Amino acid sequence: MLKPRKPLYALRLLGLFIFGMTTFWNPLTAAEYNDGNWRIVNYWSKWCTPCRVEIPIFNDLSVRLAKSNVQVVGVNFDEDPMELTLEIARDMGIEFTVLSQEEVDLLALKLPDVLPTTYLLSPSNKVVAKLIGQQSEQNILDALTHQGLIRVSD
Amino acid sequence: MIRLIESGTAALRGLLLALSISITSYAAGQEQLTLLPSPAPDNSSLSRVVANESGEIYLSWVSQDADQATLAFARLTSEGWDAAQVIGEGRNWFVNWADFPGLSVDSSGMVAHWLQMSATGTYDYDIRARFYSQDKAAWTEARTIHTDGISAEHGFVSMLPFSDGTTLISWLDGRETVHSEPPGAMTLRAAIFDKSGANISEWKLAHRVCDCCQTSSAMTEKGPIIVYRDRSQQEVRDIYATRLVDGAWTLPQAIYNDNWQIAGCPVNGPSVAAMNKSVAVAWFSAKDDIPKIQLVLSTNSGLSFSKSIVVGSLNTNGRVDTTILESGDIIVSWMDTAGEAKIMLSRFDITGGLLGTTKVAVSSASRRSGFPIIEALGNSVYVTWTDIDATPQVKVARIDY
Repeated sequence: MLKPRKPLYALRLLGLFIFGMTTFWNPLTAAEYNDGNWRIVNYWSKWCTPCRVEIPIFNDLSVRLAKSNVQVVGVNFDEDPMELTLEIARDMGIEFTVLSQEEVDLLALKLPDVLPTTYLLSPSNKVVAKLIGQQSEQNILDALTHQGLIRVSD
Repeated sequence: MIRLIESGTAALRGLLLALSISITSYAAGQEQLTLLPSPAPDNSSLSRVVANESGEIYLSWVSQDADQATLAFARLTSEGWDAAQVIGEGRNWFVNWADFPGLSVDSSGMVAHWLQMSATGTYDYDIRARFYSQDKAAWTEARTIHTDGISAEHGFVSMLPFSDGTTLISWLDGRETVHSEPPGAMTLRAAIFDKSGANISEWKLAHRVCDCCQTSSAMTEKGPIIVYRDRSQQEVRDIYATRLVDGAWTLPQAIYNDNWQIAGCPVNGPSVAAMNKSVAVAWFSAKDDIPKIQLVLSTNSGLSFSKSIVVGSLNTNGRVDTTILESGDIIVSWMDTAGEAKIMLSRFDITGGLLGTTKVAVSSASRRSGFPIIEALGNSVYVTWTDIDATPQVKVARIDY
């Protein structure tokens, strides 16, 4: 259940500790945190097996975070033209937003050395977390929790 | 100090003059850098340069027009490049910036490979090859080099002239990643093919390797050596080598324990070069998110290797290649990403001492710029890359040491 409140980071961490690996969590809204958007930026490629394994996790997150100030976006590591990128994304079952190369350039991210790589960006596009390699949903939730972007509820 | 040698037409001289502004600002030694005219057309990329034992240089590339890909090559003679020849073309190729076609040449013929999508399976592709016999002056029909018949990923091919006109081909084979639960791992396989393309011998060399990194092979005095990125059960992805000795492949051994543990694809394979008993292996790693290029050397045909030598660190995205000069010096090509990306060639003596580093060209960290490839001929190195500044085009240069 979403409960508007200011981030209580320490309490949330304590909650996470108490309730262990619970998957019950709620995103904060933009009004709760600030007016900017955080972004989970997932670099993928069609030929990257662990990337394909991760896709359902990010699809799920994009739905669950839809009303929050955290946006899930994807980047085609291969820099294919946008039309082809969208075609590949469809084939891979990607249901979250895929950025154009122009949008990627605006983020000014260092190109990852490993696929998949997922960045968590602050509203000012500062990299606050870099998750290298295939991630579990819990890893991503932990990164969001660490930034006070979600909270665990009972 | 680099001295720039002009060649070719007035237009080329103009280009060289423009380039010389940046080139001459990177003094590194007494080497001479010459930008050669490119035989590759606009919209070309994915080039490789290779020499045969007669001292002929061959350049291969892929050109793309809409959804059609064409693999072609040209030979460099004293008069310049021969007319380009098409090896194969198709609309169902898997064209990828890291896993791309290759050409192997020796005095008896050539072998070329490319990747072609399987009939079924979105991410599945086969390795197709044609064999050219100098005797018959003809290419064979294209054939699939692996005989599994399984729709899966196959790629990251290395080709090496072997003996009596045969060719050793090694590749990553995903046949065990499908049709089993849990899925198996990517494997490393190799086979020897005769001039007609017939498979003479085939081996499974490693049962669990990194899915997305290039393999590399070279011929030492004692036989071939293949290097690749391994994948342990704990997801450590260090570089391993195996050698064919007296008809049997040695147990793969780590050439260096980076202990780089990642559940992902670095897309950055190792490169090996050999001459007589000298062997050089260069590779990229990014343990603790610190990018690094390292080099190890062997003076006993790969039986053992030196301690690692750091070629570059922090500001690099890898994309290494290696070759050995007639003098015995080792050349490593790599990408320097400090500021604008640059293609660099570092030269080492056989003890690992750095003799100098040369900037070849400004490039891009973009995947579309691909992997620069180098090949030694005497004490010169030919280097090819893709310039993506405007319309992509394959470039070639020679550095005389």
